[in-house]
Formats: sequence, structure tokens, C-alpha cells
Amino acid sequence: MNESFSTTDRCGVLVVGLGNPLLGDDGVGWRVAEQVQRDLESVVEIDCLAVGGLRLMERLVGYEHAILVDAMTTRRQPPGTVCSFSIDDLPAPVAGHLSSVHDTSLQTALRLGRALGLPLPDDIWVVGVEAERTRDFAEELTPPVAAAVPYATRMVIERLRQLIQEEQQL
Amino acid sequence: MKQRITIDPITRLEGHGKIEIFLDEAGNVANTYFQIPELRGFERFCVGRPVEEMPVLTNRICGVCPEAHHMAAAKAGDAVYHVDPPSAAKKLRELLYSAFYVTDHTTHFYALGGPDIIMGADAPPAERNILGVIHKVGLEIGSKVIQARKYGHAVVEMIGGRKVHPCTSIPGGLTTGITEEQRRDIESMGRWAVEFAQFSLKLFDDLVLKNQAYIDLILGETYTHRTYYIGMVDDNNHVNFYDGNISVVAPDGERIGKYAPHEYTDWIAEHVEPWTYLKFPYLKKVGWKGFVDGKASGVYCATPLSRLNAADGMATPCAQEEYERFYATLVYEEGERYISAGPTKVVHHRLATHWARLIELLYAAERWVELATDPEITSDNVHTVPTGVPTEGVGCVEAPRGTLTHHYWTDERGVLTRVNLIVGTTNNYAPISMSINKAAQHLIHDGTIITEGLLNRVEMAFRTYDPCFGCATHSLPGQMPLEVTIRDAAGEPVKVLRQCC
Repeated sequence: MNESFSTTDRCGVLVVGLGNPLLGDDGVGWRVAEQVQRDLESVVEIDCLAVGGLRLMERLVGYEHAILVDAMTTRRQPPGTVCSFSIDDLPAPVAGHLSSVHDTSLQTALRLGRALGLPLPDDIWVVGVEAERTRDFAEELTPPVAAAVPYATRMVIERLRQLIQEEQQL
Repeated sequence: MKQRITIDPITRLEGHGKIEIFLDEAGNVANTYFQIPELRGFERFCVGRPVEEMPVLTNRICGVCPEAHHMAAAKAGDAVYHVDPPSAAKKLRELLYSAFYVTDHTTHFYALGGPDIIMGADAPPAERNILGVIHKVGLEIGSKVIQARKYGHAVVEMIGGRKVHPCTSIPGGLTTGITEEQRRDIESMGRWAVEFAQFSLKLFDDLVLKNQAYIDLILGETYTHRTYYIGMVDDNNHVNFYDGNISVVAPDGERIGKYAPHEYTDWIAEHVEPWTYLKFPYLKKVGWKGFVDGKASGVYCATPLSRLNAADGMATPCAQEEYERFYATLVYEEGERYISAGPTKVVHHRLATHWARLIELLYAAERWVELATDPEITSDNVHTVPTGVPTEGVGCVEAPRGTLTHHYWTDERGVLTRVNLIVGTTNNYAPISMSINKAAQHLIHDGTIITEGLLNRVEMAFRTYDPCFGCATHSLPGQMPLEVTIRDAAGEPVKVLRQCC
């Protein structure tokens, strides 16, 4: 599938696949980002990272929009469930307790960046895929998570299309 | 009525450590358990792969310190192939590693563990983070932190080939060197880093050391353990992050020995407990005596504080001055805090680890400049082609959170047949557990009502170790709120407290 974007449709969007590709379903963000890259060829800037918090915030500097694709472990929905939402809709503790003891939450990092005047995206959209197995070293996704990759990919591309249309209307 | 208090991340059910505090009938702490979920199957995952892949494979084990795994794997690869990289390659690796240390220690002090003492243990969670720090100290602090990180990332990218997961270290050295133009940039950034480290130590002086309440907290028994300490040292017994032998110092300051990386199995053994999959490393020559302090107990610690305790000093001038001031301030020749039977001074106050980390930050920045101004650093001779038959090798570096050991076995083609890793946090599993237990015992009495400040103090006990819970997974929601459940003897919850939800 090759989408009909052209190079003139660049809109300052960064798509980031997040997670660890060696830890089973935690790598689903990478798989989706890679699939988006294949489908759109080189139209949109895409990166795959195993970082969070400050490091991720630093990577987002300079873009108008960002789409993050990541695994979710809510255990409140079946593996392979795909959700899409604004970063503002994520629970946002101000991180006295941390997403990891080595990093702030992304929300805290974004607040810091904005307080410092860094040019960060106003709009950060998240596509999350409910994971089943993220603690075992493996390069393969579990079947329900692998089956969700095409749908999550379409969701990212649809969001990109929406952003481009909005920009063209301005 | 027996109670159980659980400090448990509720959104990452498998992804983080969990603390359980059991109370007795009187409402005092009966016991505590700190469980770290282990990432499974890494050895199996590696077996059958070429050993050359390990520097780029292992740096993806963990998103926190990929540079440490990259270096340990590269050094183990050198050992497997029995090859000694050229001097310039070793210096470039150490230069990359020094810049990484500046980034990592800066982040911990300003964004992670440091806010515990900069903001105070009783500050609400909304303030005990980097936002609280910049609110208290000034916005320019945030800019400096971001600048320090930016420079560190830049050096890692120049030498390591990539910003996040370096890829240039291979058995025998590096795939590429640096240009004179890059060297000048690296030197300039390093000089800024030295000033930043000195600024950070001054800040620690002003905010912490001049505040008697914080001094009392640091010196208090709640956060004090008298264990063994290990850390890598050079030939002069000065702290070294990249290369050297591992010095082992007893609680009374006696250095009981130093071991080369390949001798680690003569020194380190692992104790198994039924309630956790993770093993507890201890000093084989002393023996496992349980979760107890003292010279008879083989429990050891591997942290910035440990590295300072295990060494005789720092290899750079400004860091050495700070090292001397550190011991002059915290060590008493008499009294209960310090009794030395050996030449090495020892500080046992775990919260002093934050100060030790800043001294290491200064050392890393100074070393960064030293290496960037070394005449050999732009040499093209950065790789020795391995010619030996690969067999077995051990690589060791000091990760920011403890001594990191990679041990590989291969067949004659260099294909891995077995892998063993002892990562930084694993070294500290026993002392972390002991610190949590002690903090809980000092802070929970006769059914004291659980307050946020109290739980913060228990968290402070483990955060000072900068532990890693295999946090390479960044799956959403990506937060770590805590849930505290107090249960009666029948296991029924009688009270549930939540923070940051």
C-alpha cells in the first residue's frame, strides 16, 4: 500500500515507534512505525526509539506534531486492542513517583521543555497497542499483537492525513 | 492484627519493583520484601549469535544505560578474541563513556533521586521532581540540565555513531575515530561540563550541606548501613569507570583485595531466596550470613558511594579536592560513624550517595577534557584486527548504578554458546532490601498512620541506589503510581492509599 502523499505534504510531523524490539510485544511500536515508513516511503520522518521521558522529549524538539506508537500494558483490554488518543488524555502524574526510577514521565519532561521555551509539538498523538508479553527476550510479537499491526498502521496514516488536511486548510 | 503494606505500581503490573511491608500485631514492621521482576531468557536469546553482535545487542537490554552495556560487551569481545585494542581506541571508548556519565549523573541528581533531598522528603510528589527543582532554584537550572544532556548525547553520537545506542565498538577497538574538528567541539563541550559539575557541587553545598535538617537526615541511622563496598580502580587505586581491577573494601575500611574482571567468580557468589527470582550476589570469601550489616556478612554495595569508598582517591585534581572534602565532612576518626582499621576511609550513609554522584560527575567531566586534549585521541589507529581463536572472555565497566560484568563463551567461530551478566542493580539487591527494611522500621511504629512523607522516605531508601528494574520497556501508560494496601491477618484490605493516580 503506497499512500498518495507527496513531498510537498511535509508538515513537520515526527512519527516515533517506541519500545524495546528485543522484548516481544514491547517492540510493536517499532513494527508499526516501520510499516508506516514502508507504506509512505520517505514522505514523513519516522524514528524508532527505546527511550522515554527526557530523552523522548528532547527528540520531539522542533516538530509541530508528533505521533507516538507504543505498547500498552493496562491489562484491562484484550491483547492486540488498539487505542488512539491525545497525550493530554494519558493519566499525568507530576512524577514524584516515576515512570521508571531513571526518568521522568513524558508529561513532566514536556512541561519542563515548555517551561524552558523549547519548540515542542503542540499536538502529540498516541497510538497504543495492548501487549501480552513484554518480559521475555524475543524478537517476535505474540499473534494477537502481530495481527494488530496493520490496523495500528492505518490509524497512524489516518492521523497523518488528518494533520495534512488541517494544515492545507490554513 | 497483622497488616501488610504493599507499595505496588498499579498500572505496570509486571514491569516494576514491588515493596511489601508486613506489620506485626503491635503495628511495627515485622519484615519487608523488595521484589524486582526479572527480564527472562536473555542468555537463550544470545546463544547462537556471533559475539561481535553483542555490543549492539546488549545495549538494547536496557534503555537506561546502553553505553555501559555497549562498553562491557565490547571489552568482553576483546577478551574472547584475546585482542588488545590500540591505545587511541581505548581512550575514545573512555571519552564516550565519560560523556555518558555526565549525562546520566546529571539526570539522576536533578530529575530523579536528587529532588528527594533538594525538595525535602516531606515535599508533595508534585514538587519532588525536576519541575520542583527549577521552581525552587531557578529556571536556568533546567536549561543547564538540558544543555549537559545535549552535550553528552553529542559526544556519544560523534564517537559511538548513534545518539542513543552506540554501535562503533567492536572486538579489537572501534570502527572509526574522530576528526580534529570533532575533537575541538568535544573539548569545548567538556570544559563547559566541568563548570557545570562544579556549579552542581556548589548547589549541593548551598541547598543541602548548609541545611542542618538535611545533614541530620544524611547522617542519621535510618539511612546507614555498614557493608562491604566494591568499585573499579586504576593502578593508583583511583576511581575508574572504564578499566581496571575491582577493589573490595570492608566496612571498617580494610581493603581485602582486588580482582581482575576474569576473576569475578572467585569473589562473587549468588544467594537464592524463595520469594524472588532475582539472586542476591555476595562476597564469596566472606559468605552469606543473611540481610545483615557488618564485616562478617558478605553483603556488598556497588554505587557511586561504594566506588569512592573502594578507592583511595580520584584521578583528576578538582574531583580529588571534592573527594577529600567529602571524607573530611562525613568521616569521624572517633565515634560510632567511622572506625577505620585500614587505609581507606569509609562513609556508610546511603544518602551521601547523592554527593558522591556529584563528585563522580566532576571526575567524568574532567576526564572528558583530559581525553579530548590527549594528542593521541585523533589517531587513525583505532582497531587491531583479531587473529586469535575466540574462546571465553569477561568484560567489566562501572555502570553508573554499579559494577557491570559481561561473561561470554564461544565456539571457535566466535558463536556464543553461553552468556552470563551481572548488572549494576543486581549487585545492590541485598543492600537495597536492607535499606528499605531499615527505613520502614525507623518510620513505622506502633501502627503509625501511613503518611505520604513516610512512604517517600521508604522510596528514598531505594532511589539513592539509582536502581534499574529492567526498565527498557516503555509501554504505556508509562507511569509509576503507588498503591499501598494494608491487610489484616485474613488478607482482607482494611485500607488502601494511592499516590499520583
